[in-house]
Amino acid sequence: METIRIHATDRSPEIEFHFAENRFLISGESYPEDGPLFFTPLLASLATHVQQMSAGSLTFDLRLIYYNSVTARFLVQLFSLLDSSAKRGVQVQIYWHYASDDDNMQEMGEEFGEELEAATFHMCPEEP
Amino acid sequence: MSLAQRQYQIRELFPEQTVFFCYSGYMTEGILGGLGQAIKQKLAQEQADTNTTNTVFSIFVEQMQNVIRYSAEREPLESTDEGVLSHGTLTLGRDAAGYFVICGNKISRDRVEALHAQLSAIQQLDRTGLKSMYKQILKGEIPEGSKGAGVGFVDIAKRASQPIEFDFYPLDERFAFFALKAVI
Repeated sequence: METIRIHATDRSPEIEFHFAENRFLISGESYPEDGPLFFTPLLASLATHVQQMSAGSLTFDLRLIYYNSVTARFLVQLFSLLDSSAKRGVQVQIYWHYASDDDNMQEMGEEFGEELEAATFHMCPEEP
Repeated sequence: MSLAQRQYQIRELFPEQTVFFCYSGYMTEGILGGLGQAIKQKLAQEQADTNTTNTVFSIFVEQMQNVIRYSAEREPLESTDEGVLSHGTLTLGRDAAGYFVICGNKISRDRVEALHAQLSAIQQLDRTGLKSMYKQILKGEIPEGSKGAGVGFVDIAKRASQPIEFDFYPLDERFAFFALKAVI
């Protein structure tokens, strides 16, 4: 599948989906005007890609500054998709990057991480 | 009364040291974006810490998006296919209790009972309860009648430092005015 690259705006995150290398990134602010319109095609492409995988490894970096509740809903679906491929044998590494003084982002990351059964979730605090 | 005097009286309702702004009128995603930038600038000037800034900002976004999606006072917008213009008010400021965000919009009177029940349930939950409700909604299907995540109110309550306040003011047979306040 071809690489997906979307530039960040004030309200929507930068997207880099390198399918060939199994390297994925979502980075920036996320409260798009139309959340479903933005995220549904991305999630669909990712689902098509990972459903063909039963081995190998995959890295997903999330570096979000702020996200709204509509985005949170898509994150839940994203993590569930990644976790189910991990259960099939894919080595899934998820990196949750956040500003070390942002308690809310830390808490959100911890909660997402707790839900995962097979994928590995790394908390990555960074100097603001 | 002169034009300037009338306009000044409106302004006097919102003292500058308490109310950063009060917007009343059509609400669009574009206005949300613009007001959001103003809030970030104001909080940066006040040297609010990261957690406070993010919390105020996220409660503002959820409140505005609630009005945009759910206000019963709306008009077709000719220029786009999907567009309707929603009418509502949003007040943001700071008083002795902390920062506050209040939104208000018309709702159909037949929605009052259900909304009252939904918000009362949220109001009574502590932080642990709110966190578990938030997770449950995110994992489940989108509740009927919801155009967003269906989790906006829970998100607001979870981030606020005090229980949310809300009430309803009957306007006529068809409509009531709904207001919701969150303190940070």
